Amino acid sequence: MTSVAINSSIGKSKLWKPPIVGIVTFVLMLFAIALGHTSMVLIEHWLGHERTYVASIFMGVGAIVLLWYGVKSKNESLQTWIGFFAGLIIWMTWVEFFYMFYGRANWGMLPRMDGPDGLSVSGTFPEYMIMGATIGILLMQCCFYTFDKDTRCNMFLWFQKKLGLRDGLGPSTKKAKDRNYAIITFMETIYVTWFCYAWNLLCFDPGLVGSDDLFFALNMTSVFVAFVWSGYCFSRLLKFKRTSTALRYAIPVGSIFWISVEIATKWNLFTEIWVHPWDYKIEMTVIFGAFLTLALLLVMAPKKPSELGKARPNLNLGEQR
Amino acid sequence: MNRITRYFVCLAAVLLLSDMAFAGKLKLPSGMGGVPDIGAIPCEVFSNMMQIGPLGTKRSLLTWAEGYYFAKSGKTIDEILADAQEAGTSWDFDSLTGHLVEYCAADPQALTSAAVIDLGGRLLSVSP
Repeated sequence: MTSVAINSSIGKSKLWKPPIVGIVTFVLMLFAIALGHTSMVLIEHWLGHERTYVASIFMGVGAIVLLWYGVKSKNESLQTWIGFFAGLIIWMTWVEFFYMFYGRANWGMLPRMDGPDGLSVSGTFPEYMIMGATIGILLMQCCFYTFDKDTRCNMFLWFQKKLGLRDGLGPSTKKAKDRNYAIITFMETIYVTWFCYAWNLLCFDPGLVGSDDLFFALNMTSVFVAFVWSGYCFSRLLKFKRTSTALRYAIPVGSIFWISVEIATKWNLFTEIWVHPWDYKIEMTVIFGAFLTLALLLVMAPKKPSELGKARPNLNLGEQR
Repeated sequence: MNRITRYFVCLAAVLLLSDMAFAGKLKLPSGMGGVPDIGAIPCEVFSNMMQIGPLGTKRSLLTWAEGYYFAKSGKTIDEILADAQEAGTSWDFDSLTGHLVEYCAADPQALTSAAVIDLGGRLLSVSP
């Protein structure tokens, strides 16, 4: 398809324009997070713990090979999809399953207990206790992105503006054509997931916030902040026209929104059907089908030439919507 | 003492007693994993803990058992196992904890101490 034809198809499309692009990518992201949980449960169930630990090494290698293809591609849309899936797989395997191995099998950590009599196993499994301890590394990395003049993440750009760093850092040395969206999406997926996990885990840690008033207040505040933050970002997402950019932006929007979902499940407000796929086969099959359909629709959606690597406009600040 | 004062005195007494009862219950520092007394929990809870933290849970109950056996026999676990070895029975971490796990899986209503006592029956019977 030529650039002219592509542009023409975008213009004629009644479906792929704001706010549809934003809504579809947001819903897709929520399904992806739910299905990510389901995948882990299914892998553990099918392979058993011991084999899962070994398999996770190779699944992660497979994701890196996938990423390698993505990085080599000139197609921004393909780069974004590959970066996202590779990030998701690496998080599940090299992070979560590895932590699971260390916590449960190697170091012999005991599960944290919950409930009025302290005899119920808490959802903060050993791997999440370890993950909670990585907050310092996460913040250190966040410092790098805060002080990096080439970062294009809106949150860090906002920090730079508020901290008066823009003049000191100078203009970005990278233009849009210099950026590889596979590795950007890959790192974005991992960092956003890590950040949201850390946020939830800190607010759930009884050693830090107890289990009474402070716990309640902090988690209520979290719900409020997550709703406002994700709501604000969602309102911006609704204006997106390019599916690749929308998909990248939907990663933090969906993940920040999910913080409230995790808190709601911690309060037993509803059942996490995505971690009990055997009990909710039909529901999870429907969610999986919906995810595939939305992903297929996004893949087949008309693209701008820049998304297909035909040509890329030179951008200095921010991403093109 | 008027009626209101009596109510307050009674209320204070109840609060004091409930506080004493609360203070009497051992609690772990809240960030920690595990339970304060692994020997005094239902086997069902032990089995649930086993699913999430198998190695740590087994080790925790074995440590409790070692203390119990020492109190009963005056021997450390290594001495008890050496006696068992002489009597022709070989035990290691997996077989010792495996016995506890199997006992609990078979009888979820029992306390974990019953599993420890059952294992102790086998270990200490051959230890002079």
